[in-house]
Amino acid sequence: MNPSLPFFVLATLSVFSALMVVLSRKPVHSVLYLIFCFFTIGGHYLLLNAQFLFAVHIIVYAGAIMVLFLFTLMFINMNKELEPHKSNLLKGAATIAAGCLLLVLVAATKGAETLPAISKTSDIGTVSNLGKALYGQYLLPFELISILLLTAMVGAVMLGKKDVE
Amino acid sequence: MKALIVIALLGVVTMMSEVFRFKKLLLPLVVVGLLAACGLAIGDWNTAIRYYSDMVYFDNYSLAFTSLIIVLTLLWLIISKGYFVSDSSRAEHATLILFTLCGGVIMTAYSDLSMFFVGLEILSISLYVLASSNKHDLKSNEAGMKYFLMGSFATGFLLFGMALIYGAAASFNLVKIAEYVQTTAAHGQTPMFVYTGVLLMMVGLMFKVSAAPFHFWAPDVYEGAPTLITAFMATVVKTAAFAAFYRLFSTCFGDISGFWAQTLAVISAVTMLTGNILAVSQTSLKRMLAYSSIAHAGYMLMAIVAMNKISGGAIFLYATAYSLGSLGAFACLHAISKYGDESIENLKGFAADNKIWAGLLGVIVLSLAGIPPVAGFFAKYYIFYGVFQSNFTWLVLVAILSSLIGVYYYFRIIITMVQPRSEKATVLPALTGAHKALLLISALLALGIGIYPAFLQGLLS
Repeated sequence: MNPSLPFFVLATLSVFSALMVVLSRKPVHSVLYLIFCFFTIGGHYLLLNAQFLFAVHIIVYAGAIMVLFLFTLMFINMNKELEPHKSNLLKGAATIAAGCLLLVLVAATKGAETLPAISKTSDIGTVSNLGKALYGQYLLPFELISILLLTAMVGAVMLGKKDVE
Repeated sequence: MKALIVIALLGVVTMMSEVFRFKKLLLPLVVVGLLAACGLAIGDWNTAIRYYSDMVYFDNYSLAFTSLIIVLTLLWLIISKGYFVSDSSRAEHATLILFTLCGGVIMTAYSDLSMFFVGLEILSISLYVLASSNKHDLKSNEAGMKYFLMGSFATGFLLFGMALIYGAAASFNLVKIAEYVQTTAAHGQTPMFVYTGVLLMMVGLMFKVSAAPFHFWAPDVYEGAPTLITAFMATVVKTAAFAAFYRLFSTCFGDISGFWAQTLAVISAVTMLTGNILAVSQTSLKRMLAYSSIAHAGYMLMAIVAMNKISGGAIFLYATAYSLGSLGAFACLHAISKYGDESIENLKGFAADNKIWAGLLGVIVLSLAGIPPVAGFFAKYYIFYGVFQSNFTWLVLVAILSSLIGVYYYFRIIITMVQPRSEKATVLPALTGAHKALLLISALLALGIGIYPAFLQGLLS
């Protein structure tokens, strides 16, 4: 069997599901395709020997965030009349701009095949190696992420709480 | 590094002030802490230490910008006292401002793309919240939401760019990326996706500094956000974003400048023309200042285009001159906007009531317009000189032309201010002591820098 076959299967599936997220008419279908997309991307992590990242990705994205999406969908009133309508000129401009970006990104992968693989050890994505990286080389950004989370929390509380006094 | 730790801890302590009931001490605490942080940053001058396996690198460049944004925050605190004394969520405001500053310090000192991203996100997320901090104003909510959506989109581009660069150089470290770019460029083997990565990072950064054509969010967000937050965004945040932009491109991508310099030159020309031309037709002073800040972003981009040995000092001098001028102008705007709208007509009769303060505002406006002998002129001079030396003569011509357009609307402020008061005006703009103090300080500093600009410029050359 061609060793890169799983990759191609997963890649095709993730591109297909990502397209369906945008193309499907019903928002709930979009969300379901998005979950599927997250699973296929998780499969890519597994192929790259990043088991921990795979688990976290499934738990956080496919689990928590998608449930949030579904909840939000139920709260929003989805009417045909409320949908924003863009003029054809804007649609055309957006298509051309996005097409140019696609062209540049595809062109950029030209010559990428000649690059050697950086690491071939199979245990690179285990929890212990991740921990060593986080508490060794990346200690400072890891600690500063706590400021980032704190900021988000303080901001959410500030915007959400009632004014007293 | 010590300054960064002090600011981060200060943010955490101010957050506690609500729980442990020392809200009255909030403002003095923040001022003392920031003074200490500024002192620590200046004390490290000429040391250039790399901390934590080269995650941050506090060289003179980052120390100068760190001190600058701390000083600007301190000056900004003069007029924003009300924001911290009477408001019901003052502890949160103080915390978010300090965390924004913390992100700004990281952005001036990062030596690793992961640090850059963390700093940028800390800065941006606090700002999204601060922009919508006037909860009962629909415009402020809209500003926050718009900034959040557009900002996240731009961050996506930035991350994509970082990923491509990492794929090529196999490292997030700026020094290693620079080595990689240098060796591959010397053999003419730079992979295509390094170029794409540079372009995508440029898109993300240009959104943050509001350069055209990524400027569409800026006027709406600047107008909708509370005036004090707009002043903070236009000065401290913009300075930090430019410090990060210049640091990344001067450290890593100098060897392939043939690829991006032309693009950036065109963008810088478009930015200053857009900003200045659109500012002419504005009736709201706040919107006019927003467009003027877009135009100034164009001038600062010129220093990145030039990228020679005087550019570092030039961009520092420009950021200082521009931020001081903007702070003074926003102080005035804050004083007159207390009574309703931010229309420029509110300035009518301002000179007749407050002769001295109108004069000082005049000095500040001259500095923003770039008229000698005030700071703005010399800032523009050094930037133009550097660009001229790097053989972008056409860009200098466009910049001079757009400065002339700028003079028109800056002088409109002065002319409106000396006109007699319109009969419809029922309320008079009154300056409080805080506004007067900030006007005085920024005008004096603008004059002082104008008299001896070589000091600031020479710090980084």
